[in-house]
Amino acid sequence: MTARSTASSATADAFDPLELGAASDTPPPAPAPDTAARLRWPRLRTTEWVGVGILAVVAATILIVPLLPGSDPYAQNLSASFIPPFTDAAHLLGTDMLGRDLASRVAVGGQVSLGIVLFVVAINAFVGMVTGMIAGYAGGRLDNLLMGWADVQLAMPIILVLIALSAALGPNVWLMILTLAATYWVGYARVARSAAMSLKGRDFVIAPRIQGASPQWIVSTHIAPHVGVQVLILASADIGGVLLLTSSFDYLGLGVQAPTPSWGLLISEGQKYVREAPYLALIPGIAIFLVVIGTNLLSQRFTAERELSALRRRKKVRA
Amino acid sequence: MVRLVARRLIQAAATIFVVVTIAFGLGRLSGSPAALLLGDNASREQIDALNASLGFDQPLWKQYVDYLIGIVTRGDFGDSYRQRGISSMQLVLERVPASLQLGAVGLVAGVLLAALAAVAVHLTRSPALRTSLLTIGAARQAIPDFFFGLLLVLVFSVALGLLPSLGNRDPVAIIMPAATIATAQFVVYLRLLDNALGEQSRLDYTRTAYARGEGRFRVVVAEMLPNAVLPVMTIAGISLGSFLGGLVIVENVFAWPGLGQLMLSAVYARDFPVVQSGLIVVAALFILSNALVDLLSALVDPRVRHLA
Repeated sequence: MTARSTASSATADAFDPLELGAASDTPPPAPAPDTAARLRWPRLRTTEWVGVGILAVVAATILIVPLLPGSDPYAQNLSASFIPPFTDAAHLLGTDMLGRDLASRVAVGGQVSLGIVLFVVAINAFVGMVTGMIAGYAGGRLDNLLMGWADVQLAMPIILVLIALSAALGPNVWLMILTLAATYWVGYARVARSAAMSLKGRDFVIAPRIQGASPQWIVSTHIAPHVGVQVLILASADIGGVLLLTSSFDYLGLGVQAPTPSWGLLISEGQKYVREAPYLALIPGIAIFLVVIGTNLLSQRFTAERELSALRRRKKVRA
Repeated sequence: MVRLVARRLIQAAATIFVVVTIAFGLGRLSGSPAALLLGDNASREQIDALNASLGFDQPLWKQYVDYLIGIVTRGDFGDSYRQRGISSMQLVLERVPASLQLGAVGLVAGVLLAALAAVAVHLTRSPALRTSLLTIGAARQAIPDFFFGLLLVLVFSVALGLLPSLGNRDPVAIIMPAATIATAQFVVYLRLLDNALGEQSRLDYTRTAYARGEGRFRVVVAEMLPNAVLPVMTIAGISLGSFLGGLVIVENVFAWPGLGQLMLSAVYARDFPVVQSGLIVVAALFILSNALVDLLSALVDPRVRHLA
């Protein structure tokens, strides 16, 4: 246990560009004159480069394909339906049941899916960061209230919340986005809170307080930049997970609505023709897989560390 | 222990009450179902008559009180809009056994496989085995459940023609949906158990056991595993929500006639009473299984028992 925990906190420090992992709340060896000077880009490992490469290829593909001449995700041509992939130069990935070009649909679907994911992650990161910093810096009753609400959220299955709202208001994309925005920021709030708590006792936070700076000023200028780095790391790790979630909702018909393509929706359309044209579902499925694998490779080090510390925390609570 | 159970019961009742209230509020958010039930050509009188029979002409607080009274005195959770005259709760309860069956088979299979794999890793102490299992797990986690289910259908129904792709009439039909759930759970529990066993293997009692001359199998299975299971069980209770979500998705992929499939089809048909009753039943099941996890922890671990 001891050997392992020192080893893992060492890796945490090596990865953490600011050396303020939740575990290490010891003061730094020398006072830092400038935050920006101490920020450095973490050195990437081979697997992480692979992740970057996969994501770059997917991003380039979905951005470039819709710009190519003759690429239209909505143009129907019933005489050219179910063209298998790699048999027709005009439709490289083939066509669907209505003769629409699959390559364009997957590319535009990717823009829609990933656009939604980035939007949701950005909102969650922002809301979670603000809430967490306030809870961590203010402490006391506010902290209890916010973290109590966070616990309630964790126990609520998001899909049931979305089912209830969709039944009442009719399924649509904005309902999905708002549900995710309202319920998925807990992880960010936790990270931001523990970071803010560990920063509270540092000299560069205490000094302005003595000089009479307001809490808002301290949080926004002195704490936010440090917390921001951690939130950013978590956000990049979250992209894959949120893509899995939103694609599932699209697949179930609770998110993006036809005829707008999205990867989850394309798979649910393709499932109806799984015997005649399995490629209709396979190609968008592979696209989801690539993005999730890419972001997971990129964030592996960080998530492994977080899972371990979560396990330890829970054990401590129990014991 | 009695105090603990009593506190639990009060908590459960309060939670159910909150769920009932939220479900009621959401139902009224969608307004009167008259347009949906009578079609566009209904006359003013028909709509008024329907609203009166459903109680929509009453003030909101009266509707709410009537709803609560109906639940408490008659067990009446409202009739389904789609199937008039049939209690929504009856429709929901009919679907519960199928969901429980699928969920239980999937979860138990996944956890057992994960335990076997984790024990195998720690018995052999083979880094290659560990890395390959974790890599397979990471790959599985990058595939959404609905797509994994579809891949199974492609291989076992379309290509090999071995298994039925839909429904639950055939006893072998449970294999693919259960495998989808089991593999997803396998990944989660393999990582947790592997970490927990790793921590146990570095503790003094493990070293003492080896020093006494006990065999590796005995140490890992009889001494380390029971200690490793406890933190894993706590997390199992916490991740129950995401497990339920996965169940809803898998039921829809394979048209498994469970609760999740019913609720989703009710969403499409805007049959709110069914969704409402479904939410209440899911909340009750959720509370029940959480209590079960706590009870099991207390049974396994004397420390938890004494704390209570």
